[in-house]
Amino acid sequence: MSPAKLSFRTRYVRTANLLFAIFLLIQFLPNRISKADAPGYAVGFAVIAEAALLCASALATKKTGLCLIADIAAFLYALLIAWTLATAKFNLTKEMLFPPPGIVFRQLAEDVPQLGRHIGSSLALIAQGYLLALAAALPLGLVLGYSARIGNAAAYVAKFLGAIPPVVYIPYGIALLPSFRSVSVLVIFLASFWPILAATMSGVLLVERRIVDSARVLNVGRLTMLFRIILSAALPQILIGCSQGLTVSFILLTSAEMIGARSGMGFYVKNYSDLGNYTRTIVGVLVVGIVISAVFFAFNKLQKFLLRWR
Amino acid sequence: MTGSRKDKIILQNLTVSYEEKGGLFTALDDISFGVADGEFVSVIGSSGCGKSTLLSVLEGLLRPSGGSALIDGAPISGPGPDRGVVFQSYSLFPWMTARKNVAFGIKHARRELKRAEVYRIADEYLEKVGLSDSRGRYPSRLSGGMQQRVAIARALAMDTDILLMDEPFGAVDAKNRVQLQEMLLDLWGHEARRKTVVFITHDIDEAIFLSDRVVMLTESPGRVYRDIHVPFPRPRDRSGLLGSSVYVEFRRDVTALFFGDKTGETEDDWVKI
Ligand SMILES: Nc1ncnc2c1ncn2[C@@H]1O[C@H](COP(=O)(O)OP(=O)(O)OP(=O)(O)O)[C@@H](O)[C@H]1O
Ligand SMILES: [Mg+2]
Repeated sequence: MSPAKLSFRTRYVRTANLLFAIFLLIQFLPNRISKADAPGYAVGFAVIAEAALLCASALATKKTGLCLIADIAAFLYALLIAWTLATAKFNLTKEMLFPPPGIVFRQLAEDVPQLGRHIGSSLALIAQGYLLALAAALPLGLVLGYSARIGNAAAYVAKFLGAIPPVVYIPYGIALLPSFRSVSVLVIFLASFWPILAATMSGVLLVERRIVDSARVLNVGRLTMLFRIILSAALPQILIGCSQGLTVSFILLTSAEMIGARSGMGFYVKNYSDLGNYTRTIVGVLVVGIVISAVFFAFNKLQKFLLRWR
Repeated sequence: MTGSRKDKIILQNLTVSYEEKGGLFTALDDISFGVADGEFVSVIGSSGCGKSTLLSVLEGLLRPSGGSALIDGAPISGPGPDRGVVFQSYSLFPWMTARKNVAFGIKHARRELKRAEVYRIADEYLEKVGLSDSRGRYPSRLSGGMQQRVAIARALAMDTDILLMDEPFGAVDAKNRVQLQEMLLDLWGHEARRKTVVFITHDIDEAIFLSDRVVMLTESPGRVYRDIHVPFPRPRDRSGLLGSSVYVEFRRDVTALFFGDKTGETEDDWVKI
């Protein structure tokens, strides 16, 4: 489909653009708060968002994709409008607890280097624990699942161990391991290992017999059978487990960082709320949301690509 | 006809039972017949009589409960590179494109081939079954008949000595069915070395048109009811043959036998035409 197929109306006449205009207009209402505001940062943020939206509108080829982006933008503007009105313009909330968006965005811009370090620290832990879990759980799940297909009981042991929530290992891990980082990697490893293992095993058990039979009559070797046939056929299930593991990993890591760390996104939020700096607390919460959304966005893209044959 | 030394495939007193809750269910009972090297044999019988079960034994996926199944004189111990298979339910790998599916089969049956050669052969056979345009599509984007044609292309492209086909044209429309029958005969008959084919079907016309022999099974449990030699010379011309009075008569007799199953008819001499 060529870009020209979408009408001007579908491209540019949208709620999001209207809300953007409203957001700009409410800036002219008088401020009701005592502290200095920095509306420029909020407006700047909205302008960047709007520019991105307009680019997407001009280049979009599919209506569904554009609608999704525009809806997200509309939601964002609505949030900004409500936030600005509730804080700077009508002062409905406690100034100290809930600063206006301009202040928060200014703080965000100032803290970019610091935040970058925290994000990097968290993601590095996630990546280590998660990739280790993937490397261990996937082959093990394939072998266990395949042997269960031919009647081996080892699978049930794994089912039992997988039922234990990984948090219970935290105290044990703290006693056992030298540093906070190694405990975090262990916890993330366990949090992802069991869902991936369980999903891989049940995926393998669910592979249709005719698929295995058609591979068998083609005389494939054992490794081809496991990694090109069984793995591919079980992939939809396996990815569900991978996504669960990732979710639990983030939950556990941020919680752990709030308890015992000196770095990471969870530490940033906890540290500044302890210090009574609620602007930075909000910045931290926003950043956690953005980072996790971005990771899952990438994960879903990858999943879609891997399952493009469905 | 049973168990001649030269037969490529020999079934001797083959019995297959499935384990069920209440005990054993006998699907095939005391089956004995042979298939000569290069012979095309069809197996017909009503639904549930054990045709697919019979083929599973030849594929090496199912062990006989009694009797024996031999290929080249040796008991079948599992799947082998000498056999190409088309299952009743088309069985492509859904994560591979049509072309990849065919290439995957060729690669595993003929390991000596180079990659480029594998894909050249895959394309050649996809063209033969009329699917050149769809070769880049995944099975989920193909109709049932198209999927079955890919499976047929894969089995034929593997170039095995033996072809085992379980109602391969069942999901194909009448026009394509005729084309595929002719293509199959073409590929089977023009080779310097003919393949040995065991072909399962419900369709009496298809069985007669394609085969050297038709083995008719009784209803469950399957036994060999009749083993009929098809007397028409090859190459067979469809329109000429189907119109001829010998064919019409032969077909009528075979049909009568098929529907007269279990009526306890005595052995007719004409069966050995
Ligand atoms: N895995 C199995 N376990 C138990 N019984 C089975 C199994 N597979 C087949 N059967 C039974 O064996 C009998 C023969 O089945 P089979 O699939 O060989 O029939 P068929 O002749 O191929 O039928 P159709 O023409 O419908 O394909 C049937 O009664 C069926 O219920
Ligand atoms: Mg069948």
